[in-house]
Amino acid sequence: MAPLPPRLTGFLRSFSSVSKKEDLTEQFYDLKAKRLQRQKLFAKEGLTWQKIVHFCTEHQDKAEQQVVNQELKSLLLSAKQIVGTEHGQEAVESAAAFLFETFYNKDHVGAEETRAIKQMFGPFPSSAAESSCSCVARLVAPLGDSRVENFIKTQSSRHNPQQCSAFGRNIVFSYDCYTLEPLESMPFSGTHDENSRIDF
Amino acid sequence: MACARVPLDEQQVTERGAQGKERTLPALHPDRKEERCFVPYRPPAGGSPAEVEEFLELARFIVEELEWLLALPHDRFWCQVVFDESLQRCLDSYLRHAPRGLDLAALPASPAVADVQRALHRAVFLTFLRMATHKESKENFFTPAVFGEIIYDNFLFDIPKLLDLCVLFGKGNNQLLHKMIENIFTQQPAYFSDLNETIPTVLQVFDAILEKCGLLCEGAAATEPMKLNAHKQASAMTMSQQELVDIILYLCDSTTTVHAFLDIFPAACSSFQSLGFLSRLTSFYEAAVPELQKAVRKRNFDDESLQEDLWKRLSHCCRKMVETAHLLLHHTCLQPILDSEENSQTFADELLQHFTSFLPEKRFVVDYDEQFPIADDISLLQQALPLVDETRTSYLLQGVEGAWDSLGRQKPQ
Repeated sequence: MAPLPPRLTGFLRSFSSVSKKEDLTEQFYDLKAKRLQRQKLFAKEGLTWQKIVHFCTEHQDKAEQQVVNQELKSLLLSAKQIVGTEHGQEAVESAAAFLFETFYNKDHVGAEETRAIKQMFGPFPSSAAESSCSCVARLVAPLGDSRVENFIKTQSSRHNPQQCSAFGRNIVFSYDCYTLEPLESMPFSGTHDENSRIDF
Repeated sequence: MACARVPLDEQQVTERGAQGKERTLPALHPDRKEERCFVPYRPPAGGSPAEVEEFLELARFIVEELEWLLALPHDRFWCQVVFDESLQRCLDSYLRHAPRGLDLAALPASPAVADVQRALHRAVFLTFLRMATHKESKENFFTPAVFGEIIYDNFLFDIPKLLDLCVLFGKGNNQLLHKMIENIFTQQPAYFSDLNETIPTVLQVFDAILEKCGLLCEGAAATEPMKLNAHKQASAMTMSQQELVDIILYLCDSTTTVHAFLDIFPAACSSFQSLGFLSRLTSFYEAAVPELQKAVRKRNFDDESLQEDLWKRLSHCCRKMVETAHLLLHHTCLQPILDSEENSQTFADELLQHFTSFLPEKRFVVDYDEQFPIADDISLLQQALPLVDETRTSYLLQGVEGAWDSLGRQKPQ
């Protein structure tokens, strides 16, 4: 990290007794840990792999079910490639559920989807993202857009309209910031200060 | 959900525990906090794609987490704020590290970085705003005294944080910040004691700068004769270029921060006044500004744009110091007179005393008079209090004229 510019408040934090003394070495900075924590949080949310399997296979005849099962397997395989081979079945299934939720209404892997996957799992093979996107497209195609949309909305807490009641949504916020307001430009031959010094 | 129309600090909730058993606990309880792991904010170390990418990921994490936090109901928000140390570290890291308008190095110029930084800036402000609000709605509120204890005992706000908030967000959100800080000081007057404790440390910054420039003549060091072989003291002309840059950046940040705070929260002016801030500011100005300006003008800089930038920063510092002096005088002397408060005569005497004490600081008095003509304030004073001592005011105005003459500067018409 770049060194912090000299700041008044930095000095006050260090030399006055009005702030909590923080052990800065405790400030861990680990994106991997954060991603793992996000994966755990997602796993606790409403949408599970079991629900997806049930949703995709219900009301299907045997032949269709076989095709669907094949696609679900492929999706799990792609998820495994994305989440990493060292993770167990539970993590892989949760990753597959995340991919299903990410791609259910997408026909290709865009920048936003790439970012969402990377934020959840870190760097990943793009081929795995593309194959999972295709798998999800094939899985949802016979089910009808509104049914799928409805399923995702009812199962996933990510799609709950909680944000519209968020604190501060109506507050007008200004991004203006203080900038330099010099009084004068640099004089090339000014000598105000020197005149004052020779006043014996 | 907690019960309505009872302050949050008195509410109880019944929830299912980990084993599925129902239990009743205070609405504000550590067990109600969620495990979220807020990551600390760090600006990118450089502009390489990998560094930018890492910054974007980090900043998006924080934005998402803060948006989640802001969407929480009142009781859950406060459980998180009070009991999640990672959240406090994250907010504090933003206040410490977020780029300011006056920093030399800005964030890498990319639309993605700008977008996420803006989202983050807003989310951090709204989080602090919510934390400074003890009554969010008719149903969601705290007992004011308990609110004061919570924000103080948990260091949700402290004086350096309030100063950071002013300098980061104050330019465009002056009124909101004023309400926030006023509420914080009203609900918890202990912040005034903390402010009184902090002001001498602010003054140490001025002393530290004077010392670095070899201008601090205090105590034994000033009276003892210097040995002939003693090392010459460093000055603004002889110190390393980096030291000079650091001093000017430090002064720039300090003067802007103090000014922003007093501008947003004028009630703090009396604390600054009672601790002699104004006289220290004017004597610092008189001693340091000419030396630093001379150094910037006369030293050789490899990079002319750096020289120009330092000059602008120094000029900005002068403006902020003069404006700070004006804020202090306006809020502690002039405004009470204009408001026809009791003891107007005492305030008038104080104001004249301050102006008279400026007179030996010729450079300061001229720069002040240029920005805020002292004659105008005297005229206002005479209108409000016709019995003001005329001999005293004419002596003062002559002194101001004399300062202009002695510096060889022409008063703008």
